[in-house]
Amino acid sequence: MKEGLIYGKKKVVTGNHAVSYGVLLSRAEVIAAYPITPQTQIVELLSEFCASGLLKAKFIKVESEHSAMAACVGAAAAGCRTFTATSAHGLALMHEMLHWAVGGRLPIVLANVNRAMGPGWSVWTDQNDSLSQRDVGFVQFYCESNQEVLDTTIQAFKIAETCLIPVMLVLDAFVLSHTSEPVDIPYQEDVDKFLPPYKPKYFLDINDPRAFGGLTSPDHYYEIRYKIEEAHRKALKVSEEVDNEFYQIFGRKYGLVESYQCEDAKLILVTSGTITGTARQVIDEERSKGKRVGLLKIRLFRPSPIPQIKEILTKAERVAVIDRNISFGHSGIFCQEIKSILYNEIRKPMIFGFVIGLGGRDVVPDDIREIIDFAYKADYPEEMVYFRGVRL
Amino acid sequence: MKKLDLRVKDYPELAISWETTLINKTGTWRTFYPKYLSKTPPCNYYCPANENIQKYIALSLKGEFEEAYLTILEKNPFPSITGRVCYHPCETGCNRGKFDESIAIHTIERFIGDYGLNFVEPKRRIEKLTNDKKVAIIGSGPSGLSCAYYLLSNGVKVTILEREEYPGGILFYGIPSYRLPKEIVKREVEKLIKRGAKFIFGKELGKDFSLDDLTKEYDAVFLAIGAQIEQELGVPNEEAKGVLMGLEFLKTINLKRKIKDFGKNVLVIGGGNTAIDCARTALRKGAKVKILYRRTKEEMPAVKEEVEEAIKEGIEIIFLTAPVRVIKDKKGKVKGLECVKMKLSEEVDETGRRKPIPIKDSNFVIKCDTIIKAIGERVDLNILPKEIISKRTILADEFGKTNIEKVFAGGDCVTGPKTVVEAIAYGRRAAAFILHYLKNYELPPKEIFNLVDYENLNTYYFEKQKRIEESKLPVNKRKRNFKEIIATLSDQDIKYEAGRCFSCGVCNKCDNCYVFCPDLAILKKNGEYEILYDYCKGCGVCAHECPRNVISMFFEEEK
Repeated sequence: MKEGLIYGKKKVVTGNHAVSYGVLLSRAEVIAAYPITPQTQIVELLSEFCASGLLKAKFIKVESEHSAMAACVGAAAAGCRTFTATSAHGLALMHEMLHWAVGGRLPIVLANVNRAMGPGWSVWTDQNDSLSQRDVGFVQFYCESNQEVLDTTIQAFKIAETCLIPVMLVLDAFVLSHTSEPVDIPYQEDVDKFLPPYKPKYFLDINDPRAFGGLTSPDHYYEIRYKIEEAHRKALKVSEEVDNEFYQIFGRKYGLVESYQCEDAKLILVTSGTITGTARQVIDEERSKGKRVGLLKIRLFRPSPIPQIKEILTKAERVAVIDRNISFGHSGIFCQEIKSILYNEIRKPMIFGFVIGLGGRDVVPDDIREIIDFAYKADYPEEMVYFRGVRL
Repeated sequence: MKKLDLRVKDYPELAISWETTLINKTGTWRTFYPKYLSKTPPCNYYCPANENIQKYIALSLKGEFEEAYLTILEKNPFPSITGRVCYHPCETGCNRGKFDESIAIHTIERFIGDYGLNFVEPKRRIEKLTNDKKVAIIGSGPSGLSCAYYLLSNGVKVTILEREEYPGGILFYGIPSYRLPKEIVKREVEKLIKRGAKFIFGKELGKDFSLDDLTKEYDAVFLAIGAQIEQELGVPNEEAKGVLMGLEFLKTINLKRKIKDFGKNVLVIGGGNTAIDCARTALRKGAKVKILYRRTKEEMPAVKEEVEEAIKEGIEIIFLTAPVRVIKDKKGKVKGLECVKMKLSEEVDETGRRKPIPIKDSNFVIKCDTIIKAIGERVDLNILPKEIISKRTILADEFGKTNIEKVFAGGDCVTGPKTVVEAIAYGRRAAAFILHYLKNYELPPKEIFNLVDYENLNTYYFEKQKRIEESKLPVNKRKRNFKEIIATLSDQDIKYEAGRCFSCGVCNKCDNCYVFCPDLAILKKNGEYEILYDYCKGCGVCAHECPRNVISMFFEEEK
């Protein structure tokens, strides 16, 4: 593969390959991954980059996702820029090691392709796999387009390394992962300018051997955990700065959240992932019909962009949160998040929660329209959660 | 431990020890400890001469062919010969054979032997170590020559008595030159002449001199007379014209003399190397050749490759068939052989093979005009004093010591017909003992073998690689001449093949232990590994990841 064929061009690539190009441009040094649909293409292309010498990285083949993350933990602890990718059950199997990445303050970047958990066996998209890892302490980004996927990959390394906290970027199975879109592939020198080589603050140094992650008594544990919380708070700021800096060089920015037509909105939809693109179109239509509707896209899920969300949503009368996920026995997870953020506000909207599109069932404009109609007119959210499209 | 008024800002980002971990002597946790040991690779173990094969392959890989040559000479003075004719049990034992294909050790030995003859011998300084001891060696076959080499190398004066007119014994008279060119034998023998060996040709024990004569004149005598008496078939009409003896036949050809009563249709009887040599030699003399063997291909004592080559050259082997009677014409000349079909019985003979028994009424006749008998040889015991012989051979211990003072023996005349390499090994051991006897040299220490089996290796680290192939003369270019069939390989080929060696049981500094030790308890010092027992927890990862089983784990109590 010749360099000239890739960089600085608009290429039609899948979401998966957008990740691969992002990792290539970020000059990852160690990649360890185990194949799983719908993620496999990400590391497949990366392994080709490694084999051809285009990417000077060590590609470690492993026997499971648990080992993949363990290898990444080791490599990152040694001071390398490290990447892995997975999906659904692979991410679940990684769970223990995700804690190690966070507690070890290792700036690993992980691409997770949102896939529904089995059984029933599924390869199609929903968000329960990544949201089940909410509390491990990874930064989580949910992407809407393939361009955003590539750009977020590059940003992820910078945020991770600045805050010493691992970052997960999330893209929808098939809707993004296997769907091709035109994507700007940046020049390597621009990316190099944006993302200099990783200089680890702590690393395994045989000349100064230290114990990493050893037994920590109750006298110390809490303080060290608090530092992770500090890192997340820092990451909120840093993510914004990184996004702005990215804009300076590449002319594209995404924000931590995106507010669309929210200024005078009576009803604001809250979406994440690819449903956002569909909703955006419906909002335009509804607006032309005179309905005062807006859209809040949550791009950064953790750390939670609390001030931004508050500022936008407290202006509305109603909020409808669309969740492609479910916390059984309660409601959609984004909906819970929004509610908890707004609870102590004096002026707060009514919040309608909708669960939709589980296991990759299509979410089409009519679904969004129905949600808008319902939330626009209903007197009060009688139900904690509304299940859209389920055949009762 | 620091004081507890530490604040969040005082902490590092992660749980990392405040101080170096070197204070934690994790070695105290250990119940097993690792140890580097040099073990015995199977090639060395199965080599009858116990050549340090692994070592000379490792040297060859580095291109240090001179060192490799000198390494072989410690155990075998004639690698050019064994590289060509040895049946290479080293390759049969080679662990790589269980992985893909064994290392072509004989090609490496041959290359190094030839390299030595061409480049090392001409410049090799011969140490002048002369002393007053003199030894007579009877017979210049492989064991006699080998014994002579090691005695000469230690300054003993050696006289070799040979009843024939050329040195080499079976090497010259027995083995055909398409396998072992006379030139090679000559050049190997020159090593001895350069070191001052004196040869007396045409003198025969029991005819021109007696053992007594020699013990009077010399400080020691080494009997290396081989097994020269050829066995008879024991069937009627064996004396007919055109019935030849195998070794005798080979000798005549090797001397480039004409064979009496040699016809166009030759039948060779026997399944050993002599039989195959006779058959292929007869073929080269323009005959149509068949071999008769009373057992099956499985039981043939001949080297497998030789049998296959014979078949390729168009020699037919008739299995499970034994001779009954030679059929002769009125002039007393062979015109055929009456045979009987055999089958293998359940009974096992002393060689461990199933005994063949005739099938009743299965007799048939094979037409032929020449029969060559090659069913085995035995030692000529008639020329030897009674006190040193047993029923079939000379009585001697593993160092060649006999019941007569000053008299030693080795090679086929002690072991019965065996192989060139075994005779060479015997000659070397006898030389060591003669030096001990004459000069009070220390006997070589008894070798302790700690064999590495295939199961001991961690083959995860090896990749399949094809074994090197020797280039051979095509059948049609060799069937009617005595040109050497196999060519010596190039140094590139040899390095490739040497690169396939697992180096079983012998460290080749692959760094696996160094890389994998989770406690960084292995250091490299002056190219050697050193285990820091203060920190080694005895986890055994190094031993497990060693591809060649160099590291063993032991109970701490056993230390």
